[in-house]
Parts: sequence; structure tokens; C-alpha cells
Amino acid sequence: MRPDQDRVQRLFGALAQAGRVLTGRQIAGRGVTVFPDDIFLVSYPRSGNTWTRFLLGNLIYHDEPVTFSNIESRIPEIYFNRDRFLRQLPRPRMLKSHESFQPHYPRVIYIVRDPRDVAVSFYHHHVKARNIPDTYPLSSFVPRFIAGEFDDKFGSWRDNVMSWTALRGDHPDFVMLRYEEMKIDTAAALRRIVAFLERCSYRNIDSSPAVLQRAIALSSPERMRALEKQEAGSWVLTKQTRSDKPFVRSAASGGWKSQLAPESVAAIECAWGHLMQRLGYELVSGRNAARAGAASDRRERS
Amino acid sequence: MNRLGRIGTYLKTVASTVLGRTPAGRGLTVFPDDIFLVSYFRSGSTWSRFLLGNLIQQDEPVTFNNMERLVPVIYNLPDRLLRTLPRILKSHECFDPRYPRVVYIARDPRDVAVSFYFYNLKVRVIPDGYPMDEFVDRFVAADVVSYADRVGSWQDHVLSWVRLREGHPGFRLVRYEDLLADPGKELTNLAGVLKIEPTPARIERAVRLSSASHMQSLEKEQSKQWVATRDSRQDIPFVREATSGGWRNKLSTSAIRTIEQAWGTTMKDLGYHLVMDVDADRKVVKR
Repeated sequence: MRPDQDRVQRLFGALAQAGRVLTGRQIAGRGVTVFPDDIFLVSYPRSGNTWTRFLLGNLIYHDEPVTFSNIESRIPEIYFNRDRFLRQLPRPRMLKSHESFQPHYPRVIYIVRDPRDVAVSFYHHHVKARNIPDTYPLSSFVPRFIAGEFDDKFGSWRDNVMSWTALRGDHPDFVMLRYEEMKIDTAAALRRIVAFLERCSYRNIDSSPAVLQRAIALSSPERMRALEKQEAGSWVLTKQTRSDKPFVRSAASGGWKSQLAPESVAAIECAWGHLMQRLGYELVSGRNAARAGAASDRRERS
Repeated sequence: MNRLGRIGTYLKTVASTVLGRTPAGRGLTVFPDDIFLVSYFRSGSTWSRFLLGNLIQQDEPVTFNNMERLVPVIYNLPDRLLRTLPRILKSHECFDPRYPRVVYIARDPRDVAVSFYFYNLKVRVIPDGYPMDEFVDRFVAADVVSYADRVGSWQDHVLSWVRLREGHPGFRLVRYEDLLADPGKELTNLAGVLKIEPTPARIERAVRLSSASHMQSLEKEQSKQWVATRDSRQDIPFVREATSGGWRNKLSTSAIRTIEQAWGTTMKDLGYHLVMDVDADRKVVKR
């Protein structure tokens, strides 16, 4: 970007921010007001957070099924909503966030997903958001993904995951779920979350089999895709993105096996192999990559 | 906060936004060759600003009056001005994945507790005569004052940086106590990350121009001007003892036990010797 273009953009940014401050419409974001009874639903982007929001929303609220239109008043996310709006929601609140370790988040449900699948999904997400063109090679995206270049405030996948597990891993106010396990046995995953919510005296949740099945059915990829077709134009996360690309994508795990080039797989495993193995993600690039991965955990990202 | 306070805060926020004076803070723009001087509160970061500033700057000795220009803190000036200043920035943030190079100063939390107590007296967060034991309970629970609680407890802060960045070439962990014992040696070790030539003369000058006595006399002259002290009580100094181990006569046995029970493992990992037999009566590690 040319310097004067940069300056004009910053000026507009400052004016827009002044307008939001004047009218009390600041976006919550990292500065979100945190209450001691808050629950945060945290993950790196493209790790099943929206699906989990649907699942939990449908489990907790029985009045009407969760849609993209009402999710932001039930389990809202902090990056598109105003702090004032979030402060006025009924307590205890459940909020969605992509932040790396935040010491003041009192209780956290953390979703982790195989970074090889995250890479593929994130790539399509950035095409949809017009950050990269259709023709941009996935194999060029992967090194930038590893370096944490996109959405750098959240850190790289490694920084995000490791910051939470290293600081809160064994803490009673923290629970971690793997996206892949949620896919295999969604009911069991939900029961774990309900047990966690009970432990931190969140509101009472009926987790009888019928209620769990209803929540799972109302949050199926088919239903979410159908809802997205109707509501993508008005939902804050999708309204300014390309409408020819879906937000709810394959909703499966292991897609990387057919989509990622062997070099890309090796690059990810080389960078984060050690952490991936600790989380139960099997490496395929062979011994050398695993060894390099262990070493890489102690090396600076470049 | 009462209604009037809210309106006041609102007006201040609006004014600073319109005038472009909102401090950068966490919204700071980070550049790839930035150097961050990070620590929990009262862990020697101001002294380190003097040391690093005097080490890098050869023509102008660091004082409280030029420090915000030479080694700026991210909480004072707006992003727009920080872009134009030397990029050795002081920060109290807990782990921030964007910081490319970090010099992290860790200090014995028992000394931090004492120093933080007097600092909060100075800035009127607690009144004279406030019980130290009660303060230590709040310190351990990260329940002192909102700006500090936001970055986590002492342990969260230290571990967030050490566990995420230890071993990375852009990260240096320095203990305050080692800096006190031999500042020249520690500065020489930092020369690589700071990209300077650590000649003995240069190191000697930096240490001399950052001595506790020099900083104390500068504070006497300049504390009414420096942004961090001008609104605080002038009868309590900002530059305090500048020593280590003061906690031994300032903390009660129960306060020491509280800290060691909460953070003993981390303290031992950093080389701080525990004086209580906390393993015997440790239950759950508190946050």
C-alpha cells in the first residue's frame, strides 16, 4: 500500500472510531467488558466455533431454534457486536472469542481442530472474504498460515492453542474439546460441556437424550447450510463477503488428506508436529518431520 | 461507577478519540523489527528503560522527561505518534503473539508484592495503613485494580511469556535480581537481540546513567512532570529501594505463605528459593 493511501485509510479509521465513540457504539473486541460469571467459547478461527454456538444455543434455549439471525443475541461473538449491547444481555453470558490466552476470561470452553483441516478451511474463508483471489495457490497460503500472518492478533494456530493449554490446561475453569471428537460423538461432547457448565454454576441445562438429539439435529450441516442461504446477506460475519462461497463448508474432518499437497502437510507437521501429537493428531510426514516438529516448538517462527 | 463518573469517562474517551489522543495500548500497531520490554508491574521495567535507552542512545542521557520519547510506553501516547518514535517499547501486556522480539524482566513476586503495595499507596488505590496481608491476598488473586488485573496474576503473566516463547531467538528472560547483581553482564547478553556492539565503555555508561541514586535524584526534580507520577502522592517515591529481598522484613509469615502456596512451583522454576514448606500444606494451586 502506498504511504498516502495508508494515511487516508488511517484517517477514515480514526473518524469512524470517533463516530462510534460519540454514539456509544464501540465494538467490544479485545476490550470487551468481562463479568465474573461469563463463559467464553474460544477457538482459533475455522475450528468449529459457529457449529458449537449452534449446538449450545439449541441446547440452552428451547423457545425457538438457533438461526444466524438470533445467534448474536444468544451466544454472541465479540468482534462484531458493541460492548454496550453485550453488557445488556441476560447474565450469565456465553461469548464467542478467538483470542489467544486472556487471563481475565473467567471460564473457558476451548475448541481445537487439526491444523491441517484448519489450513484448508481458513484458505477458503480468506477467498470468501476477498483477502486472497480465487487463483491463489493453497500451497502458497500454507506458509503464511504457519507464520500466523492472517488475523495476527489471534496468533498462529500454535500460539493460540498452546497459550490456552499451557496456561489453563489443568485448571477447573477450563475445558478443551477436539472438533474431531465432537464430530464422532456429538452427544458425548455436549454432555462434557454440560458437566462443565454445571460445575461453574451456569444456568440449569436439561441434557436428556431427547434434548441433546434436538440440539444436534437443529445444528446439522444441512440445516446450517440452508439457513446460511437465507440469512448470509444479513449476518454480521458474512454480509460483506462473497456470496458465491459458503461459510458453512464441508463440516468434516480429514479433508486435508485430499486437498493439501504433501509439502504443505510436511510444512505444518514440521512447524507444529510436537504440539499436534500431544493433542492426538497423527503425523503422516514421517519421522523426520516429527523430529523437526519437536525442535520447531523451541524455534522462532520466521 | 456512579453516573457522573460514567459521563466523565465518556467525555474523556470522546475527546481523546476526536483529538486522536487515545493511547495505543493493546491496539498498538506492531512492526516486524520492534523490540518490547515486557514485565509485570514493579519488576524493574522503568530501570530497564533507563538501561536500554542509555545503552542504545549515545547522545542524550535518559531522564524522566525524555523517556516517553526515547523508550516509550504503549499506554501513554497514541499509535500515530508511536509510529514515529524509536521502537523499543515498554509494555505490561500478558502474552501477545504479535510481539516479535521481547526482553522479559521477571522479579521475585514477594518483592513485587511489597513494591506494588507502596506503588498503590502512591497512586491512591489503597489508603495509608491498609493491611499488607489483605493486599497480598488481592495481589495473589489478581484483584487489585482493573488496569493491573486485566494482564493477569504475576504467575499468569510470567508463564504466558515463558511457556510460549522460551527458546525462541527473539525472546530473552532476565531476572531483576541478576540485573541488580551484575547489570553489565546482563546488558552484554542482551546486545545481540538489541543489535548493538557491547563495548565496555558503552555498557559502563549505560549502567552509570541508570543507577538507583541517579534515578532517585532525577525523580526529585522531574516527578511533577513525568506522566506516570505527576498526579500521584509526592510523599512516596516511585523509585523505591531498588534492591532485592526486602520482603523478608516487610511481609508477614502468612503473606509469604500465601504467595509461595499460590506460585511456589513457578517461583522455584525461576530460581527463587521458598522459605515455607508449602508442599506439605499445598492444596489446589490458586490462580
